Amino acid sequence: MSIVTGYSFAFWVEILFLVAVIAMIRRARGGMKIPEIYKVAGLEAMDEAIGRCTEMGKPVHFSPGIGDLQNAQTLAAMSILGYVAKQCARYDTDLIATNRNVIVYPLSEEIVKQSFAEVGKLDNFKPDNVRWISDDQFAYATGVTGIMFREKPAANILVGAFWAESLIFAEVGSIAGAIQISGTANTHQIPFFVAACDYCLIGEELYAASAYLSKEPVLLASLVAQDWGKMVGVVLIVVGTVMASVGSNALGTLLSK
Amino acid sequence: MKKELPVAITLILAILYVLANYFTGVAFLDTAKNLLDRWYLIVAAWAVLVGSINLTQIHGRRISGKREGWIFSVWLLICLYGMMFFGIFVAKNASHPGWTFMYNQLIAPMNATVYSTIVFYIGSAAYRAFRVRSPEASVLLVTALIMMLGRVPLGRMLLGGHPALSQMADWILNVPNSAGMRGIQIGACLGGVATALRIALGIERGHLGGTGE
Repeated sequence: MSIVTGYSFAFWVEILFLVAVIAMIRRARGGMKIPEIYKVAGLEAMDEAIGRCTEMGKPVHFSPGIGDLQNAQTLAAMSILGYVAKQCARYDTDLIATNRNVIVYPLSEEIVKQSFAEVGKLDNFKPDNVRWISDDQFAYATGVTGIMFREKPAANILVGAFWAESLIFAEVGSIAGAIQISGTANTHQIPFFVAACDYCLIGEELYAASAYLSKEPVLLASLVAQDWGKMVGVVLIVVGTVMASVGSNALGTLLSK
Repeated sequence: MKKELPVAITLILAILYVLANYFTGVAFLDTAKNLLDRWYLIVAAWAVLVGSINLTQIHGRRISGKREGWIFSVWLLICLYGMMFFGIFVAKNASHPGWTFMYNQLIAPMNATVYSTIVFYIGSAAYRAFRVRSPEASVLLVTALIMMLGRVPLGRMLLGGHPALSQMADWILNVPNSAGMRGIQIGACLGGVATALRIALGIERGHLGGTGE
């Protein structure tokens, strides 16, 4: 048994990261203070967007992107869907959740149903509002476009893994007059969301959403470990830059081990 | 128990999968990984059936209620079941000429049509983003102008053939843009790993239904 060539450094970094996450979680469980998390405008606006729909009597549209369940962004989107569904259930607001991936669809339905049940509003759950549109990327985009124009949601929440359809969703949402909150870790789509949406969760903010929204200390603690990881990354970049400038490739060799 | 059991299964399978990706030469791990990959495909195949039932229910109700646009629902169901019928009973394999004809002559051009509409959405999104309302928007506008002029022959023509704009566009793309993107990617990768760990350890259970409040 041996570690795959080129994966050794990544393996040990992941182990260290795991230890850091567990340490922070133990700290949170032990009641120790967790550093404050900075305000994320997009997540702060989530309740405002749902409230707007409630006031206007219009639905919320939610898309978890087009990634499958092997994509961490989709799992992060599912956690946000749980929060959005619960808030919609509390305020008797319709939630239209559209899906492209057939495996994500039953999960979306279960999460929305469970969220309605948790706030005691299972009777208000409408199975027709959790929809599988198509497995084809642009057929899904066209389906969502139709829903945006026909049902005119007052809030358009687009969080997850998006590709070329991102701008279509964001622009039709804008034309429909919806307040738009987007979020993705796909760097090639972030500029489109930033340009077309009211709020945008950039990269890691998407993964922090469930912890941020739930405000659970244990979840927030894992974000602190995430920040430590970033700091280590910054240090490695600076050290690597200095070493490369003086002609040493020792760090590069270490990273590729 | 409803949530503890899935969390326990997730943890065990996550450990297996992670180890199978990092370690080589362990037959048990390779077998487990291949098995899990195959299970995923089988679940995905069954999920298509679930999705098709959902589509049929929604559009069936729309047709029976003669709701606005119901004729499009009829068309959707004809296409859905027509393609399914053709694939299962006539074509039987993906290389059948009728099947490839439908893909090349119907699905591919329709996809290309929808994809090409993005150009108009880029125009309207750019108009809103580049309106000079703040210092940030001004920077965006100037950068976008340099990028656009640096990428089209007009930019070079305006400078009498000098490639200054194209060089500036390359610099913007390769230096500040790359640096920003890589910063976001590093954060996103760490976020992805942290999310995976939270799910594997059962701390984050949002995907199991509800937020567990």
